[in-house]
Amino acid sequence: MWINMGPQHPMTHGLWNLRVKIDGELITDCDPEMGYLHRGIEKISEDRHYNEVITLMDRTCYVAGFAWEHLYVLAAEEALHIQPPERAEYLRTLCEEFQRIGSHLMWYAAFVQDIGLMSPFLYGMRDRDLVLDLFQSYTGARMTYEYMRVGGVRNDLPPGFTGHARKVLDWLSDRFVEYDRLCLGSDIFRKRCDGLGVLSAADCVATGVTGPMLRSAGVKRDVRRDRPYAAYPQLDFDVAVADGADVTARYLVRMEEMRQSVRLLRQVLDWLDHHPGPVLADRLPRWLGAPYAPVGKEEYVLKRNYPKGVGFSSIEEPHGEAQAYVVNEGSEHPYRVKFRSPVFANLSATRHYLVGYRVADIPPIMGSVDICVGEVDR
Amino acid sequence: MSSLSLYGVSFDLVHLLLTSIGSVLPYPLDAWITNGTLVLVLSVLVFAAILLAASMINTIVLIWWERKLLGRFMDRRGAMHVGYAGLLQNFADGLKLFRKHTFKPAEADTLGFFSGPTAYMVTSMILFGVLPISTGWNSGSLPLSLLLALAIFSFAPLFIFVSAWSSNNKYSLMGGMRSAAQMIAYEVPLLLAVVAVVIVSGSFDLTTIVTEQQNYWFWGPLFLALVVFVAGMLAEMERIPFDLPEAEAELVEGWNTEYGGMLFAFFMLADYLRGLVGSFLVVLLFLGGWTMPSWVPGALTNFPLAGIFWFLVKTYLVFGLFVWIRASLPRVRTDQLLRVGWNRMIPLSLAAVFLAAALVTVKCLPVFGCLPSPGV
Amino acid sequence: MTEPLTATEKTSDNPILWVAKPMVTAARQFARSLLHPSTVVYPFERLEDPKFRTEVGIESGKPIGVGPIWDNYRGVHALNIDTCISCNLCAFSCPDLCIDMVTVPGGDPKHPKKCPQIDYGKCSYCGFCSDACPEGCLSMTTRYELSVHSRREMVFPPEKLFGIYQQKLPMNPIRVERPANEDRIVLEPPLCIGCNACSRDCPTNCITMMEIPKPEAKPGEKLPKRIWKEPVINDSDCVRCGTCISVCPKECLFWGSRK
Repeated sequence: MWINMGPQHPMTHGLWNLRVKIDGELITDCDPEMGYLHRGIEKISEDRHYNEVITLMDRTCYVAGFAWEHLYVLAAEEALHIQPPERAEYLRTLCEEFQRIGSHLMWYAAFVQDIGLMSPFLYGMRDRDLVLDLFQSYTGARMTYEYMRVGGVRNDLPPGFTGHARKVLDWLSDRFVEYDRLCLGSDIFRKRCDGLGVLSAADCVATGVTGPMLRSAGVKRDVRRDRPYAAYPQLDFDVAVADGADVTARYLVRMEEMRQSVRLLRQVLDWLDHHPGPVLADRLPRWLGAPYAPVGKEEYVLKRNYPKGVGFSSIEEPHGEAQAYVVNEGSEHPYRVKFRSPVFANLSATRHYLVGYRVADIPPIMGSVDICVGEVDR
Repeated sequence: MSSLSLYGVSFDLVHLLLTSIGSVLPYPLDAWITNGTLVLVLSVLVFAAILLAASMINTIVLIWWERKLLGRFMDRRGAMHVGYAGLLQNFADGLKLFRKHTFKPAEADTLGFFSGPTAYMVTSMILFGVLPISTGWNSGSLPLSLLLALAIFSFAPLFIFVSAWSSNNKYSLMGGMRSAAQMIAYEVPLLLAVVAVVIVSGSFDLTTIVTEQQNYWFWGPLFLALVVFVAGMLAEMERIPFDLPEAEAELVEGWNTEYGGMLFAFFMLADYLRGLVGSFLVVLLFLGGWTMPSWVPGALTNFPLAGIFWFLVKTYLVFGLFVWIRASLPRVRTDQLLRVGWNRMIPLSLAAVFLAAALVTVKCLPVFGCLPSPGV
Repeated sequence: MTEPLTATEKTSDNPILWVAKPMVTAARQFARSLLHPSTVVYPFERLEDPKFRTEVGIESGKPIGVGPIWDNYRGVHALNIDTCISCNLCAFSCPDLCIDMVTVPGGDPKHPKKCPQIDYGKCSYCGFCSDACPEGCLSMTTRYELSVHSRREMVFPPEKLFGIYQQKLPMNPIRVERPANEDRIVLEPPLCIGCNACSRDCPTNCITMMEIPKPEAKPGEKLPKRIWKEPVINDSDCVRCGTCISVCPKECLFWGSRK
């Protein structure tokens, strides 16, 4: 019997359709269908100025907007031959790591809700709100930040920010212990999650699965360490890996990643306290600086002969390894923007980790994938 | 005047009303209206109406209680705007559901689709006529009221299955199957745990069981049975961690996926009615019903309707325990649930039965009583 | 960390320890939120209330972040019509094309004054318009309640935005600095006909038409038919709106770099 789990189903966390073939309660086959949330972000990007694409990036993944902004500006800077100031790089690292915590907290909330834990859902959301409050205090928005710019970031931190941020980190560190008690300390939780959704390292590599799913299989692969960008080369952190390759292992990896993010953030905050400086690069091309002036006559602009270029970037997004490719043909708009969504690959491998388990196992397994359909369909 | 009981009160009310009407009526009518049969029929109706109102109000207050408790467990406030502290919120919700259009999927079976929830609701309501709330406050002393209550209680899987099957929805069907399997599996340990109580108290009459607990409540000596009974009750009431028939994460509310409006309200109300009945049973069987220990000052136990008051307090506390469990535990899987049911619960409940028999044999019950009891 | 993570909390078959840990944790949270739940009772309490800015925080047991509504919140725009120079920069910078320049009273009949009208059905609150505004007259406020009854009401004409300005709501204090070596408008003199269009339409009146000497016509050569004036742009007043470029009939103005 085929069952359509989706497009509107509590398990999907968005808009996609998981078709499962069941025999009693046993899953014998499955077939993920994506594309319900396709908004054509890559195509729209070709018609926008470089900085205006950033507004789309926040909407690409609504729980990890900063990660996608960062991904795009890194690629665009490479394509436009711009070097951001060092303080901007640290600020971006700050954004991305806080975003990782926020995204993982969101994942935690959704995941425990999937297995029927009611109250930790709200604990996760409550604590994520602290991170969003921090974001709002310096970007002016809670989820759609539009903070990064090609060549730096929009503005510097408000006074007193680092002190507040440290308090939030302290609070969160205490909460992580509580989360573990609620989940790992619960026998029912362990019975629900141990040995479920096993995806071996070889299968991960074969299907392009990245991020916490890959690390939970014991593969020590993290773009922040393997292909460092922004301020990561100067920072000290560990890559969280687990060896179970199951739902519990993914839980462990994500919780450890949050702890590592706290560790990273403390270093970043210390650095930011002692190194004031500009946050936006000098000598930006006309359409990237403040004026945002009208296009004027297109042919005159093209006469200017801005250097062409191609930009590629790869970052460790909270969901996995995201990549962007930006082609600059010398005009005000990117000629082509292409993204690689980690969740798309993770979802495409559904058949490898879902077949053979039971219907009741679908929510924990799919919850452990950490789905963000916005970036799957773009 | 009959003794103070719910039925007695309603009988007196009707009798008073009819005689006063009869006194002003001319000859043939007054004899007819004070006729004994009419008084009897009307008083039964009044009794049923009072019962309905009491159970409904209790159920709705129970939902409020759960919402408030759950709110605090989740670091929020729960319903708080309609009425004092949100007490009337559930009435508003019920009114909203009542106003909604009742619809039926085109492919669903009409008879089963509509009769399932109705019968589920009705059987849950019947339970209230059976359970004693305080001395004399029941429909009459049935010698086998405990058996009757549990028998009516176990009708539910049938109606759930009927409504799930006739919804013609795959999720509903799976939920119905799970529900049937779960309820049948947990019926056995539940009844065995009750057997332990029956052995100790020596009666199937709930009133007698409570009177037996005058001196010591049964939760101490029969703790094992209590644990089994609460776990079985959780499964029977389909609450987290055993709510997998209506697991919303995978089955989208399971067997009531297709129901909306008042039919859904029937399911919802009946669920909480059963929650209330479950808490009633726990209080009646293990927590001394409406009796209070002798160390409680007399001022607290001698006011009018004190029995009902303390009974309801205990009931709500027991339901609070269920809410606490719901707030902190995830739900289990069907196979795990059944394995626990057959492999753990039944041996445990058998052990509880043997323990109860042993305790009765060696007559050491008061030792386990919640408090020293001078009488025994 | 060198060791891979493994689940350390041991599973116990003991039916009492079975669920004790999560239940105790939940009960602890219950006790904590019994007196101070984290909820902000929204219509009655608001995050922008002074008490949430200063008193309430993680220390007081109520985990509300760090003064949640800061002044730089990007909410509904406020427009000061009096200082608006109708430079179009907000409309040009809008990625969603939700800003239209509409005529407001106050301009002269030949060159009517135009101010932004914002369609909040399209607006994404990115703040590019207020960043671009050279006069600081269009800025974003902390107002976030936007329910309206119809789509038409979502279009806020300049007068309504001015009304929001007059409410004196806290406004986004962050101004993006204009880069020091900004591009400027440069002229390609041979093409200019001295038509005065750029000077006439310049919103800041920073273009003056300077007379240039009329060259002597060489024998056999015909002088171009033009007014012998050329625009001179005062860079310190120029807001780089590009109006002159778009109105230039001969396309002789364009963007250039200072160096």
